[in-house]
Amino acid sequence: MRLSVLAAAFLAAALPGAALAQDAARGAELAAQSCVACHGANGRSQTEDIPSLAGQPADFITLQMILFRERIRHVELMNDVAANMPDRDIEDLAAFFASLPPGPPDERRPRDAALFAAGQALIGPRHCGTCHVSDFGGRAQIPRIAAQREEFLERAMLEYRDGRRAGADTQMNGAVVGLSNGDIAAIAHYLAQLD
Amino acid sequence: MIKKRLMLGLAAALIAGPALAQQAAPAVPGWAVGRPEGSTLAPHGPTLTVTPVERLPVAALRLPAGFSASVFAHGIPGARAMAEGPNGTIFAGSRVIGRVYAITRNADGTTRTRVIAQGLNNPNGIVMVGNSLFVLALNRVLRYDNIEANLDNVPPPVELTQAFGLPGEADHGGNHFWKVASLGPDGRIYTNVGAPCNICSIDRDRFALLVSFNPDGSDRRIEARGVRNSVGLAHHPVTRELWATNHGRDWAGNDVPNDTLIRIRRTGEDHGYPFCVGNWADPQENAGRNCSEFAQPAALLGGHVAPLGMRFYTGTMFPEAYRNQIFIARRGSWNRERLSGYDVVMAKLDAQGNVTSVEPFMTGLLDEANQRFLGRPADIHVHSDGSLLVADEQMGAIYRITYRQ
Repeated sequence: MRLSVLAAAFLAAALPGAALAQDAARGAELAAQSCVACHGANGRSQTEDIPSLAGQPADFITLQMILFRERIRHVELMNDVAANMPDRDIEDLAAFFASLPPGPPDERRPRDAALFAAGQALIGPRHCGTCHVSDFGGRAQIPRIAAQREEFLERAMLEYRDGRRAGADTQMNGAVVGLSNGDIAAIAHYLAQLD
Repeated sequence: MIKKRLMLGLAAALIAGPALAQQAAPAVPGWAVGRPEGSTLAPHGPTLTVTPVERLPVAALRLPAGFSASVFAHGIPGARAMAEGPNGTIFAGSRVIGRVYAITRNADGTTRTRVIAQGLNNPNGIVMVGNSLFVLALNRVLRYDNIEANLDNVPPPVELTQAFGLPGEADHGGNHFWKVASLGPDGRIYTNVGAPCNICSIDRDRFALLVSFNPDGSDRRIEARGVRNSVGLAHHPVTRELWATNHGRDWAGNDVPNDTLIRIRRTGEDHGYPFCVGNWADPQENAGRNCSEFAQPAALLGGHVAPLGMRFYTGTMFPEAYRNQIFIARRGSWNRERLSGYDVVMAKLDAQGNVTSVEPFMTGLLDEANQRFLGRPADIHVHSDGSLLVADEQMGAIYRITYRQ
């Protein structure tokens, strides 16, 4: 716990504007009320189409929650959860989930060697590691994608490609432009298999 | 009409990928063309939560002798482009947070901020035309009539999107679709249509343009071509020429190409994208073009510094030497190994309107030694009282710069 608080403090220092007073313990209490039923008690989602939040960068969670609150990113359930949520609650929730150790869902599907190889072959030329970092653990506003739920990764990339979602900027829309559904499925499988 | 439909079809094909396109998807996505192997440069994330006033870096700001900075307004996450109403309301647009703010001054000198529009897609194009506030959000154009009388209960705006007919998000492939807007001395609304990629071959009558319209959206006119991504426009108060800031492409090196300040001497003149920036030939898209055939920049502003809002100083509070000079907000670099920009510079003009120098004006937000930044200036507004307002998008604040002898 102390380590994770230190890590959060380090992140805050590294990024101007990040609040210094994030309270992961308070975030845990808030999460128990409204988040863990879907996203998992340990932040690893066991629910189809619901992403894991454990180990996500705090800035990423904060940004996405604000996009939900402002109804810029459209997921009805999340728009309702985030409606009128104060900045402080969002920052504390982000600190809590960022402090949890990341990992795959319990029932991760077995590796499909051909699909995994196809995904791996696309990851390099698409330069995914430029922003998501070489271990795909993410940083700042850029999410951890390693060991994320496969069907969620696939849906997110389809939404970016088809202009149904944007992030803090439009880097992801540009990153996936021109990928086929098959390409996206392969990349999702590859990333979901990483630890 | 047929041409338009063809373009839409092309955009759809680009987006849908191999299902419609003849050739396979490019191995390297457009944003990464020219990117060096192993680079981990990425855009800096925004801060969209409220920054407490005591954490604003106002004490760090450095200005020439006689000038001082204070906090004009705060608690306005993502505030960018500014405009002032006839009754003194400052409106501020934003990008990702999707809000338009209205900032009024209370009797005691403090400010009050209201969110007057939200959930919009990058509402960065903000311009007053008489008593009406125009908001350009991606390709949506909204007109809020008599806005200052209705700040507490804003009626639905007049929708002018169809009339303006700006390209949508899909047409832009997700790139450079945010707008800047300015009112010309001819009463027309001036705005930008950015390039639909980092660097690529484009329809040069449709993208990488500065355009103007009548306020009802009619009579579109191309003011300048080959302008990759302008997020700052203003007309010279005396010569009435249009000037603009322009962002150069990414991934071609730390110092090339330059971001530029451009001066449009003739309606429709060509500033070179994607072939050239000034005398610099693009390594991927030059296509054998001689850079001297394009209009040359009025000033080079540095690689990747991201010049956004620009305004001529038309007030009387500052000394005479500042009159009609250009203040430019440089939001600061990401596509560069060492940070650069994060300041306000002043382009000095001679009597012929040539830029004689570009000098620092407001500095102190870049911590060079630790490679961090304390804020990101995104727009300039010359307040009707003669002070200069600077919007800090990262801190969600507006600073006010005043002068006293």
